Amino acid sequence: MGLFVYSLDIIVFIGIFAIVALSLNLEYGFTGLGNFGKVAFFLAGAYTYAILMERTGIPFYLALIMAMLVSAGIGYLVSLPALRLREDYLAIVTLAIGEVLRLVVKTEDSIAHGVWGITVPPAIHWSGMSVLEMRMVNIGLVYFCLILCFIFFQLMTRSPYGRVLRAIREDEVAAEALGKNRVKYKAQVFMLGSALAGLGGGLYAQYMQYINPYMFLPMVTFTVWIMVIVGGPANNWGVLLGAGLVILFERGARIIKDYLLLPIDPINLQYILFGVLVIFLLAYRPQGLLKERQLETKAIEGVQKWKNRSSE
Amino acid sequence: MGVNWAQVLFNSAVTGSLYLIAAVGLTLTYGLSGFPNFAYAEFMTLGAYMGYFVVRQLGFDVYFAFIAAFLACGILGALAYRGVFRFLANRGANKIHLMVGSIALGFVIRYIIGDIWGWPATTFGIRWPGFDIGPLRVTDLWLALIFTALVLAVIMHLLLTRTKTGKAIRGISSNPELALASGINIERVTLVTWAGGAALAGIAGLFWGAIASLSPLLGWAMILPVFAVTILGGIGSFYGVLAAAFIIGLAENIGVVALTQLGLSTEYRMAIAFIILIVTLILRPQGLAKAFRRT
Amino acid sequence: MEESLLRVKEIGKHFGGLWAVNRASLDVARGSITALVGPNGSGKTTLFNVIFGLHKPDEGRVYFNGERIDHLAPHQVYAKGIVHAFQIPRLFYRLTVLDNMLLAARGHKGDGLLNSVVFRQGWQAQERELADKALELLNLLELDHLTLSPAGELSGGQRKLLEIGRALMAAPVLLLLDEPAAGVNPNLGRKIFERIELFRQRGLSFFIIEHRLEILFDFADWVYVMDRGKIAIEGKPEEVAKDSTFYKVYLGD
Repeated sequence: MGLFVYSLDIIVFIGIFAIVALSLNLEYGFTGLGNFGKVAFFLAGAYTYAILMERTGIPFYLALIMAMLVSAGIGYLVSLPALRLREDYLAIVTLAIGEVLRLVVKTEDSIAHGVWGITVPPAIHWSGMSVLEMRMVNIGLVYFCLILCFIFFQLMTRSPYGRVLRAIREDEVAAEALGKNRVKYKAQVFMLGSALAGLGGGLYAQYMQYINPYMFLPMVTFTVWIMVIVGGPANNWGVLLGAGLVILFERGARIIKDYLLLPIDPINLQYILFGVLVIFLLAYRPQGLLKERQLETKAIEGVQKWKNRSSE
Repeated sequence: MGVNWAQVLFNSAVTGSLYLIAAVGLTLTYGLSGFPNFAYAEFMTLGAYMGYFVVRQLGFDVYFAFIAAFLACGILGALAYRGVFRFLANRGANKIHLMVGSIALGFVIRYIIGDIWGWPATTFGIRWPGFDIGPLRVTDLWLALIFTALVLAVIMHLLLTRTKTGKAIRGISSNPELALASGINIERVTLVTWAGGAALAGIAGLFWGAIASLSPLLGWAMILPVFAVTILGGIGSFYGVLAAAFIIGLAENIGVVALTQLGLSTEYRMAIAFIILIVTLILRPQGLAKAFRRT
Repeated sequence: MEESLLRVKEIGKHFGGLWAVNRASLDVARGSITALVGPNGSGKTTLFNVIFGLHKPDEGRVYFNGERIDHLAPHQVYAKGIVHAFQIPRLFYRLTVLDNMLLAARGHKGDGLLNSVVFRQGWQAQERELADKALELLNLLELDHLTLSPAGELSGGQRKLLEIGRALMAAPVLLLLDEPAAGVNPNLGRKIFERIELFRQRGLSFFIIEHRLEILFDFADWVYVMDRGKIAIEGKPEEVAKDSTFYKVYLGD
C-alpha cells in the first residue's frame, strides 16, 4: 500500500479524534468539567452505530444521529448524580462508566458478539471500490462532520453562552449568584459533549468496519485529554492542532516500531512520553500551544466607541 | 444447588480485607491533598510485579516479596507526591490538573511495567492448596490476607488515636487551618501518608496478584471497587473505609451468588461496586464518615 | 417603619452542633440602606448566604415582596431581584472586566444555547446596549480604563469595586453587600458609600454588612446588631451607637 493511501488513513483518524477532542474541550476547556470517561461515550456511539447498521436497514446518517442521541442520553444519566457535587466526583463517575460500559459489551454476547467484535457494513459502497476510494469517501464524510462541529463550537463558545460557560469554569458559585443555573448549563454541556463524542464513535465504527471492546480502553480517553492539553484548552483551533500532533506522533511510533529495533517498545515509550509531557505541560504551560482568547462580541464595539469618546 | 452461606461470608471477609488494604492510603491522601490519585491503580500493579520479580525472577521466598512491594511502593508514593503532585500544586495546578496529572503518572508507570514485564497475564507460579475448616474451604493466602487486614486495622486505629502524626492526619483532613495553627508539620505528615498509603496499595496488589493473576492492567481493574469503598466510606475517613470495604466485599459476594442464580455473567461483579458508588453519590455523597466521626 | 421588602423570620442555621444563626428575625424596608453589624463569627455572612440561597435554613422563613424564597437556589433568588456581592470578591479572574460585568446582566438572550448558535441576530443589539450600560457603571466606579483587562490583573480595591459594579449591573431590587468597604482605603470606602447612596436615591434597596462603622453610620437608615446568631439590638444608627449593650457586644464582656 502506497504512502499516499497510508497518509489518508492518518487524515481520517485526525478528523475523527478532532471531533472527540473538541467535545472534551467544550466540557473541560470551557466549562471546567473533568470528564475522565470520554471513551464511554465514544464507545456508546460506535456500538449504537454498528448495531443499527448491522441489524437494521436504516440509512447511515440516521444511524449516526442515533449514535449521538444514545450517547447524549447516557451522558445525561451520568451527569445526574455527579453534576451537583464536587468536581472530583464527576471524574470518578465518568471514569467508572467507561469501565462498566466496556464490561457490558464485552460480557453480553447478544449485544454485539462480545469479545468477537462486530462487523459494520460500510455507509457508502459500490462494487469494485478501491481502498483509495473508500478512504476518500471517509475523509469527505468525517471532515464534513468535523467542519459542522467546528462551526457549531465556535459559534457557541464565542457568544454570551460561551461566556457563561467560562464563568462557571472560573467560579460556579459566583455564576450561580449572578443568575446562571449552573446545573442546567453543565448538564447541557455534558449532553452535547457526549453527543459529539458519540458522533466520533459512530464515524470510527463506520471507518474501521469492525469494532470490539478492546478498542475502547482507557487510553482512548487519555489520548483525547492529551490533544486538548497540548493544543490549548478553551481554544478550538488549538485542539485541532493538538489532535493532529498527537495522531501523527502515535503513527510515528508505530512506523518506528516496524522499522527500528529499540531496547524499548516504541508504543510503550510513546505513552510514557505522553505521560511525562502532560505533567510538564500542566506545570509549565497549562494554557497549551494556542492560548485561550478573549471573547469578541458586539460589546467590543461599544468599548471602542467609549474610548474614542473619552479621548476626545 | 444450595448456597454455602458460610463460605460466602468468608469470601466477603477476604474481599473486604483486600479492599481495606487497598483503599486506606487512597482515602487518606484524598482527604489530605484534596484530589483522588488515579495513579493509585498503578501503585497496586507495581506491588504485584515486585512480587513477581522477587518470587519468579530472583527465586526468593514469598515473604521477601511483601517487603519488596512495601518498600518499592512506599518509595514510589513519596516520589509521586514530592516529584509530581506537590510540584504541580506549587505551580498553581487546580484539582482537575492534579487529577489529569495523576492519570498521566499512572500511564507512565503502567507502560514502564508493561515494557519491563510484558503485557500478557502471568502468575507467581505458587499453588496455595485449599483445606477445610468446618464448612469453609480456605487457603493459607486468604487467611494471611484477613490477618494482614486485621493487623492493619488495629495499627491504624492506634496510630490515629494515640500518636501525634495520626491525630494530625485526621486534623488536617477536617480542618487544615486549625491543624496549621496547632503547629503540626503538615508537609511531613502528608509525605508520610503518601508513602505509607502507597506501600499498603503495593501489598494489596501483591495479594491480588497471588490470588488471581497479574498483568499491567491489574490495578486498573481494581480501581472501581477501591474508589467505591473510598466514596462510600467518606473521603479521608479510615473508620468509614473500614466499614465500607466489608460492606462492598459482602455486596459483591452476595451479588455473585445472585448473578449466578439469575444466569448472568459473574463478570458483572465489578458493576456492583459501580452501582453502590452511584447510589452513594445520590443518597449520601458525604459517605459513612459522619457515622464514624470522633473528635 | 416603611413597607418591608425583605422579611427574615426566625431563621436558624446550624453546622454540626453549632447554631451559626439562631432564630434571627429582621426586616429590610423598601428603599432603605439597612445595616447588619456584629463581631466576627456572629453569623452575619451565614445569614446572607441563607438569604441569597447558598445555604438552606434549618429553621424559619425568608420572604421577599411577600413571597417565600428560602427554598430557592441562588439563581432563582437572583431572578426575584436579590443580588449578592461577596465579601472576598469572587470575580471570574481570567475573563475581562467587561465580561464580568456582562455576565451579571439580567435576561440576556444570548445566554441560551439555541440562541447562541442559531438565532444569533436576536441578541447582537442587546449585547451592544448592555456593553454601554456596563461602561457607564464602570465609569462611575472609575474602572472604565480597565474594561478589557482580565479581572485577575486588578488591585484589591478595584476588585472590590468590580464586585459591587457587577451586582449593580444585575439591576437588582435589593442588593446584599458583604463588607463593601473592607480592605480599601478610607477615602475609597467613603466614596463607595456615596455611590451606594446615589443608587438608593434611584430606588434601590440595600442590606449591608460592614465593620467600618464610622462610615456606615453616616449612611445607614436602620441598624441590626447581631451577636452569637441572634439579633441583639436594632435601631437608628445614632440610637444604636448610644446603646451600652452595643459596646458590650462588640468589645466582649
